[in-house]
Amino acid sequence: MTDATDAAEAGAAGPGADTADPVVALTDVTKTYEGGATVEALSNVTLTLEAGSYTAVMGPSGSGKSTLLKLVGGLDTPTDGTVELDGQDLAALSEAERARVRGRTVGFVFQTFNLMPRLTAVENVALPLVFQGWDRAERRDRAERLLAQVDLGDRLDHQPTELSGGQRQRVAIARALAADPALLLADEPTGNVDTETGARIMDRFERLHDAGNTILLVTHERHIAEHADHIVHVRDGEIEGTESLSTTDAAGGI
Amino acid sequence: MDLTETVRISVRSLQSHRLRAALTVVGIVIGIAAVVTFATFGASLKADVVSEIEGSSANELYLVATERDESGFGDVGQPVFTEYDLAQVRDIEGVQQVVPRGLVPVSALTSGNRTVARRQVTATNATAFERATFDDGRAFRNGAEEAVVNVPGARLFPGNLSAGDSLTITLASGERRTVTVVGVVNGTGGQLPFSSFSDQPRVFLPADPFYNSVVESPNAVANQRVYPQLTVVTDPGDTTATKERVREYFASSRSDAAALIPDGYEVTAQTNADLVERIERIVSRLTRFVTGIAVIALVVGAVGIANIMLVSVTERTREIGIMKAVGARSRDVMELFLVESVLLGAFGALLGVPLGIAGGWVATRYAEIPLTLAPGWAAVAVVVGVLVGVVAGLYPAWRAARVDPIDALRYE
Repeated sequence: MTDATDAAEAGAAGPGADTADPVVALTDVTKTYEGGATVEALSNVTLTLEAGSYTAVMGPSGSGKSTLLKLVGGLDTPTDGTVELDGQDLAALSEAERARVRGRTVGFVFQTFNLMPRLTAVENVALPLVFQGWDRAERRDRAERLLAQVDLGDRLDHQPTELSGGQRQRVAIARALAADPALLLADEPTGNVDTETGARIMDRFERLHDAGNTILLVTHERHIAEHADHIVHVRDGEIEGTESLSTTDAAGGI
Repeated sequence: MDLTETVRISVRSLQSHRLRAALTVVGIVIGIAAVVTFATFGASLKADVVSEIEGSSANELYLVATERDESGFGDVGQPVFTEYDLAQVRDIEGVQQVVPRGLVPVSALTSGNRTVARRQVTATNATAFERATFDDGRAFRNGAEEAVVNVPGARLFPGNLSAGDSLTITLASGERRTVTVVGVVNGTGGQLPFSSFSDQPRVFLPADPFYNSVVESPNAVANQRVYPQLTVVTDPGDTTATKERVREYFASSRSDAAALIPDGYEVTAQTNADLVERIERIVSRLTRFVTGIAVIALVVGAVGIANIMLVSVTERTREIGIMKAVGARSRDVMELFLVESVLLGAFGALLGVPLGIAGGWVATRYAEIPLTLAPGWAAVAVVVGVLVGVVAGLYPAWRAARVDPIDALRYE
């Protein structure tokens, strides 16, 4: 499990051996799409995300970023190789079990926010908990606390159309955190907001990272990717290289 | 995903397209209402007809000689029952009375200065009126120049006929006979099958001397009157056994009828219960047929639901993707869409049932029969509404469940 990425080994090694279990482990993953011609979207990708790491995936469009996102998020299964999410081999699970694991283990934050249009902020945040079988009062309670954390305590019963872009993205972040997932998966989270709001959102991810969350950020913007500890460059379905940023040392102190 | 949450989200999405949901529901309402209307009308018609027939007593047998496999009702039949047979049947165990009926062809009836055209009058004997109720007067006497009319018959003439009036009958031969009307019988008279049912005007004459169809009785070896119809009154509670004995008599060579009957014909003996059952069957068959046509409207409504649900799946592709991304199983998504289409179907059924009953009420008013509700059908309608929702929603829901979440989320 120590191959490919030189992740925060310093911090993970030693006494707490089980905390070193990676949140995501892709081993020799190949994904091909059949449709007329066979397209190889990913070939032989091996990638490990350690608990508490902050990783950015960069690459031009068509590089296989979104396929990687699908596989890591448990929305799809690889043609070849294994994807382990929080220690579970996704290929061994049924569609329904995968959905449950996804809901419990992964929190998605999307570029276009993707809030349910007719649900209020608090209902949106509580939605993942619905599928995890929480009861209504508990869901509402947790959603209210999370919205308060993202400074939306006064917008609980607003529908998405009544919120600004930044506010919507904060609702989306609160929703991603609802089930206390092992992994936060952000797909161009600043793509649809202005620069200032984008900066505040990146601050928020910084704080979530500091609080111990594992984050995978997909972006094509260098300055956004630089918020992470390391950047994985993807091109033509292969990992071109992994770049560690100076902040890695800081992260090593966890 | 718990059901209350599913229902809540479904209701919310229906509410966001009120007009569309309402129009879809209208389709189902029309279908269910049409089915319930026809079912209610059919039930009312059946109840009305059956109650009219059951009004006459249950312990009667109607005998008629018709072609084999024919109904035995509504047909005059061949004249095969001789006076000899009448006497023999009267002696069969369980038989109380035997009333013969024949038709006397006439061309017109005249009372006072009013003449009305009439094709035939009924010839019978005085026993026919033993248990009948008279509005006026009494039964005729056999062999007398007397007549009895029923209430609609009395109304054939201005000022209505009443006991004591004289009536001139022009026979088909042109011969004119004048009789005295001695009674006006109420239509529900016990021994006059069909009289209450059809409510046609009837004039009754004593077979002696007006009925002149005669044949040589093979057993009595003498010319006798021969009738096409017999009504046998049995001891109460013994109708079935007596029916068998009467049928046996006519099947045996001991009867004149067996000798006189043409090949391919048979004597049928039917009770009131047979008649009721038969008419119930006919009305039910008709009701089922018409209701079946109404089901087409329901199918159209179901297609409407399926259509709108497919549109809804397309529109909500992104929502489906979101739900899947946050942990919804395909089953959860499918449930959500199924619940939505079931809500449309059930709502349509709930509105359609009262509308259908109202329609049935209007139809029965129009047909002048009392309203009889068919609660079984109403229950069936609601169940069908739900089923229609399920069936119409299955394919769209399946499509929804198959939505690829990432593609859905990328979709702008």
